[in-house]
Amino acid sequence: MFCAVSTMTDGDYDYLIKLLALGDSGVGKTTFLYRYTDNKFNPKFITTVGIDFREKRVVYTATNSNGTTGKTFKVHLQLWDTAGQERFRSLTTAFFRDAMGFLLMFDLTSQQSFLNVRNWMSQLQANAYCENPDIVLVGNKADLADQREVQEKQAKELADKYGIPYFETSAATGSEVDKAVITLLDLVMKRMEQCVDKPTQDAPNGDGASKLAAPPSNEKSVHARPNLLPPLPNLTPPPTTLAGPPPHG
Amino acid sequence: MDLSVLEALERDKVLEVLQRDKVLRSLEEERIRKMKSELQEIRRKGAKSFARQYSERTCARCQRPLGKLWNCGATCRGCSHRICSRCRVAITARDWKCTVCHAYRDVKIKSGEWFLEERAKKYPGVSDRHETTGERILKSYRSLSNIAIVPPTPPPFTQTPSFNRSGGLQTSRPFTKSMENLFVSLTSHMKKISKSQNDVNAEQTLLTTDSCSYRKERRSQSDTAINCPFEVGGAPSLSELVRQARAQEGAESSQACTDDDTYQGAELQLEKRGSVGSIGAGLGGHDPNSSRAGDIELALGYSGRTSCLEVSVRACRNLPYGDAKRKKCHPCVKLHLLPDGGKQKTAVKRNTTDPVFKETLEFKMERPLLASRTLQASVWHSGTLKRKVFLGEALVPLGGWDFEEDSARWLPLCPPAQTGDLQGRGPVEQQSRTLQIKVRFSSSPPAVQEPRAAPPSRGGSLVGQLAVQVTGATNMAVDKSPGAVHSSVKGVLALPGGVQLAQESGVQSLSSGSPWDHSLVFSAVPTAGLQGACLQLSLYDHTPLGLKPRLLGRSTLEEGLSWQRVQQTPNTWHDFGLPFLASDAVQRT
Repeated sequence: MFCAVSTMTDGDYDYLIKLLALGDSGVGKTTFLYRYTDNKFNPKFITTVGIDFREKRVVYTATNSNGTTGKTFKVHLQLWDTAGQERFRSLTTAFFRDAMGFLLMFDLTSQQSFLNVRNWMSQLQANAYCENPDIVLVGNKADLADQREVQEKQAKELADKYGIPYFETSAATGSEVDKAVITLLDLVMKRMEQCVDKPTQDAPNGDGASKLAAPPSNEKSVHARPNLLPPLPNLTPPPTTLAGPPPHG
Repeated sequence: MDLSVLEALERDKVLEVLQRDKVLRSLEEERIRKMKSELQEIRRKGAKSFARQYSERTCARCQRPLGKLWNCGATCRGCSHRICSRCRVAITARDWKCTVCHAYRDVKIKSGEWFLEERAKKYPGVSDRHETTGERILKSYRSLSNIAIVPPTPPPFTQTPSFNRSGGLQTSRPFTKSMENLFVSLTSHMKKISKSQNDVNAEQTLLTTDSCSYRKERRSQSDTAINCPFEVGGAPSLSELVRQARAQEGAESSQACTDDDTYQGAELQLEKRGSVGSIGAGLGGHDPNSSRAGDIELALGYSGRTSCLEVSVRACRNLPYGDAKRKKCHPCVKLHLLPDGGKQKTAVKRNTTDPVFKETLEFKMERPLLASRTLQASVWHSGTLKRKVFLGEALVPLGGWDFEEDSARWLPLCPPAQTGDLQGRGPVEQQSRTLQIKVRFSSSPPAVQEPRAAPPSRGGSLVGQLAVQVTGATNMAVDKSPGAVHSSVKGVLALPGGVQLAQESGVQSLSSGSPWDHSLVFSAVPTAGLQGACLQLSLYDHTPLGLKPRLLGRSTLEEGLSWQRVQQTPNTWHDFGLPFLASDAVQRT
């Protein structure tokens, strides 16, 4: 459905889609994106300072309602890479609100990084553009089978609970990397259509059935998922520090 | 957690990334602009509009007649027009839209408008929904790197212990919130709260620097504010940038005060509500004083499609007679987008004091720029052969306007000439030709005072600092051609005994609708001498073309009672509205 095109310095594209990778430090967000955009692997761990992004242009072929392929579009992907380190947290979460889809990554060889997925989900709920944005759960470093700490079943269950697709990828070998990004992109593309067609629901004949008429992508229909994210507890104590009183009392 | 570990190198790295992002963004903006102009073209071609009546039996797009039994057309779900089968575009097997609606839908998807709309649902009230976090941080960097010159260290309250995030990720909410609270007082370019920021500045200056260097700083700030993307000295740290950017985000969304209130602390809300409320009161509320010049009904909207501010001038009511003798009034409304956004005029309605205009006037301006603009709606009587007679005006600071809410509002019109005290008035209810100032006297221990300027203190009386802030001048734009007021203020404080202290503020380019920030600090002012003091303030216009600054007006504060107030409650700001001296007196000097 997608294939890469080389030239990308011009504005000749149909969509600018902004995706963002997030997850604990060291799970391989940067190498994952590097693999996706450049198809290369850098085994060195270089911690990301705050925020970064990569770009890639792909061609998207729309699927018609009857399953045939329709028009093709050029999609410019802006893939935001975020620092996993705690000290950059306020910076990185500030960028969540500008992304249309999220690659939530953890390290298959680190149970802790998997446990933190829940926290990242609530971060997303709090900071993303909407309450249930399009997310793909990615377990990275699948090639390190002997060091594996997170079982596929475990991760799949969590993904199902959130109603999001799950992929086990390896930036080292490149396996499933493209598929994970493309699935997310597909979700976002469908979301766009959904969003603009929503207001027509009050019309006599359609009421949204048309939305589901399109066959779901290789994953199940994610948009129909219930909002399973538990509401965040209200953690706002009264502010301890005040800005100075207004000057003229 | 110590945020100060974000060193300059890291900050620069992030800024570099954001610069790259900016390039991509400008590419994207250009693409969207093209796309929208194409859409405009398509719309123009698909002619049928709501304004005109068409017969039921033609296609709204191609205007071909429709039959009664076959080819009778169907109603488009987008625009509710009857459309023939040729002017439809299928979306799905069952769903279609007319060509225009489809093009509109297409643009909405391709331009990312869908995303902005969705996000606006979660964060309602954000005034500039196009602005990305990266953009905001770059902006903050620019403004903070200027501010940062004044205080050598970040304000003390940035090291609050509330950063502790041991409770896991969720606790970053209070973190964000508290930072928003803290930085509300530091955000500089948000006009609504810039007052508090100015105060912070002024106070710090009082404590740390003498007025001379302060003046210099103010000047450099206004100079560099135009284009100084990267300065080395005194640049803010990355953490400061993030905080400020987030603070703005928070401050913006707090205007709406919807269920997303968990983000905002109560204090912040209160403060923000206060400022927004004061605007609202000025706009919607009716002045209890009878000295009004009627009302004007305006509706403001912003069209992202054409990037135009659309002002719908609906009507006026209870206007005074332009020609009082003959009881005639031929009103029209002029709109100025102050300081530099051009002007538009409605048609003249004849013989009415309650004219209905129903005209929409457009101002081409990018949305982010609007926040610093003020819409001036002035009503004029247009007598034949004679000059236009000014009937009244309303000023709408656009920084606080919620463009998403498209209801029309009645605004009271301020009559052309009115005298009286300005105290307690909102920024909207301007009166003619007054200089609004704040005065604060702080008596400080003599050790802080510089001995150089100290006049002989009589009988060991205390000396103090007199801080004067010129926060605005009213109706200046009516009298002069509208445009950015590059103004400065000269102040001369004459004390009994012939001592005169002179101070001059830096040049600022600010509109009459936004709060000004001309600060003058007179140090070593004897407390005893204050009672008999006379402060003369001269407002100068520094037009870019003019060789010599032009004197706009002059005001004095010499009333004994006023000074008594300042003296008796030191360390607080006192507001005064000073009428400008008569123009003949000005010209004499």
